[in-house]
Amino acid sequence: MAAVEPILRPGFRPRRRGRRGYVRLRAMPIGDRLALGALALVTLLALLGPTLAPHDPLSAAGPANHPPSFTYPLGTDEVGRDMFSRVLTGLQSTWLAAFGVIAAGVLIGGGIGVIAGTLGGWADSVLMRVTDVFLALPPSILAIAVVTAIGPSLFHTLLAVAIFWWPYYARLVRAETRSLVVRPHMVAARLSGAGWWRRLFRHLLPGTFPTVIVAASLDISNLILLLAALSFLGLGAQAPAPELGSMTAAGLSSLLTSWWIPVMPALAIFVLSLVGNLSGDAIRDMVERG
Amino acid sequence: MIAFVLRRVVAMVVVLLVLAAIVFALQEISPVEPVRVKVGEAASKSVVEAERKRLGYDDPLPQRYLDYVEGAAQGNLQTSLRTRQPVASDIGHYLPASIELVLAALVIGVPLSLLFGIAGALRLRGSGVLRTVLFVLAAAPAFLLGIAGILIFYRDLHWLPASGRTSIINPPTGPTGLLVIDGLLRGEPNVTVNSLEHLVMPAFALALVPAVAVGRVLRGSLMANLRTEQVRAARARGLSRWRIVSRHGLRNAAGPTLAMGGLMFGVVFSGLTIVETVFAWPGIGLYVAQSIPKGDFPAIGGVTLLVGAAYVIINTTVDLLQGLADPRIRKDL
Repeated sequence: MAAVEPILRPGFRPRRRGRRGYVRLRAMPIGDRLALGALALVTLLALLGPTLAPHDPLSAAGPANHPPSFTYPLGTDEVGRDMFSRVLTGLQSTWLAAFGVIAAGVLIGGGIGVIAGTLGGWADSVLMRVTDVFLALPPSILAIAVVTAIGPSLFHTLLAVAIFWWPYYARLVRAETRSLVVRPHMVAARLSGAGWWRRLFRHLLPGTFPTVIVAASLDISNLILLLAALSFLGLGAQAPAPELGSMTAAGLSSLLTSWWIPVMPALAIFVLSLVGNLSGDAIRDMVERG
Repeated sequence: MIAFVLRRVVAMVVVLLVLAAIVFALQEISPVEPVRVKVGEAASKSVVEAERKRLGYDDPLPQRYLDYVEGAAQGNLQTSLRTRQPVASDIGHYLPASIELVLAALVIGVPLSLLFGIAGALRLRGSGVLRTVLFVLAAAPAFLLGIAGILIFYRDLHWLPASGRTSIINPPTGPTGLLVIDGLLRGEPNVTVNSLEHLVMPAFALALVPAVAVGRVLRGSLMANLRTEQVRAARARGLSRWRIVSRHGLRNAAGPTLAMGGLMFGVVFSGLTIVETVFAWPGIGLYVAQSIPKGDFPAIGGVTLLVGAAYVIINTTVDLLQGLADPRIRKDL
């Protein structure tokens, strides 16, 4: 069957998406705009963190156990390393790790969901039963077991969490796919001779996008807290790497003498998770308004 | 109805077998040699070989898996590398402290989520402020709540103790293992009061995040329910606000709320490992946290199996209860 040439009016230009995005941003309530601003700021800080750090996060920069001051905004730790530089560097691994696991979950889960949703039949049944089994297992507990078995490192931790993080997205994308494939625009695309890949990428996936982006943005904060908990237990990057959770755990012994050593990295996690929550809500509102 | 129950129970057994398979597979790939642990570092190669054969470690993989499942079902979970005790008896030793902590967290968390959910759905005065405060606090990692509590209520105010279950030298050991109850049963109220003081901070740090998550679901589904026709009709009949909420709202909102509560059990467990570390609380969370640096897989695998199974069973029970309460769910599958 020959492909049908699309008939376009002379001078027709597809509507630009960027402009619509701008208009939507301006119509946003101030709180949501602040939340998205904070999201951008934190992401920027996480990307630039190590270059902004005034001192070497791994070696002594001043006196030990120095309380927060003008020179050392967050104080120094038991061996005189600058807490501000360590927290900035730690921000990067926590923030990027959370994004990485979400991306892996969306890709694996989304892939399985799209396959199950478009193929239907026994492939759908098998994939969804497997998903159900994984969905019935507790991710945090199993992640601890996996990392202990294969040995602690940041990569192993991310791998372990990602293994148990996709089923939710698989369910979500599959449900969305099932409702999209029977929609008139999909039928029209098939009748006009669009190939399988084109239908997938131009007509199906964009439709699943809003649901997935909302779920993922509301999920960021859960992941930050889980990764911080695993790092606190010693299941992330190994010492002396500046990781926020393990810094808190290591600083616990100084809690009553130098409170800033465990508190500052824990506060940084708190800020990350709060920004994740607020911007997740803002993104949901934005997508729901259309 | 029977078909529904059977389906759910079969699904639960399958999930439990998969859980056992995952822990078994992890044990296989972990570098720990259980036979070495048993016979000791100094044993000769031939002794190790003989012991391997005797204990069935040279059997084919499927046979070993079946043996493993059989052993686990009988409560036989390897030997810990760190404590040199059977993991099952270690767990038995640490579990009561954790159960006491989780029960205390429930006592704090359930009213908190009810208050949060109901006040929010009814838009009571002050519910906006409560919502903001809880929303912010729930973003805090459990260890931040714990250390902030220690700094404020222990270091500065001297109101509450910061570590352990009790400061009494020889606390009663039985019959329940829960100090609060044992103190009452044995007529030693000072034990009860003392352990309650020790419980306040860890239980609060443990309860907050799950309570807010459950409260949000309750609030959302209450609000949806209060917009239905039947509620409008009830209001038109002149029913009081409280009666409408309890009879029409809460009853219909119970399903999703309980489901969220079941899912939160996983969060509670990872919270246990953190909170018990911060407060030196001698429960299975601390047991896991101390086993991690030693790479003690048998200990962690045993706890994973037990807690994972509890998670699966709790969630299946919630599912069954929902099915009993709501025929629509039964029809669905």
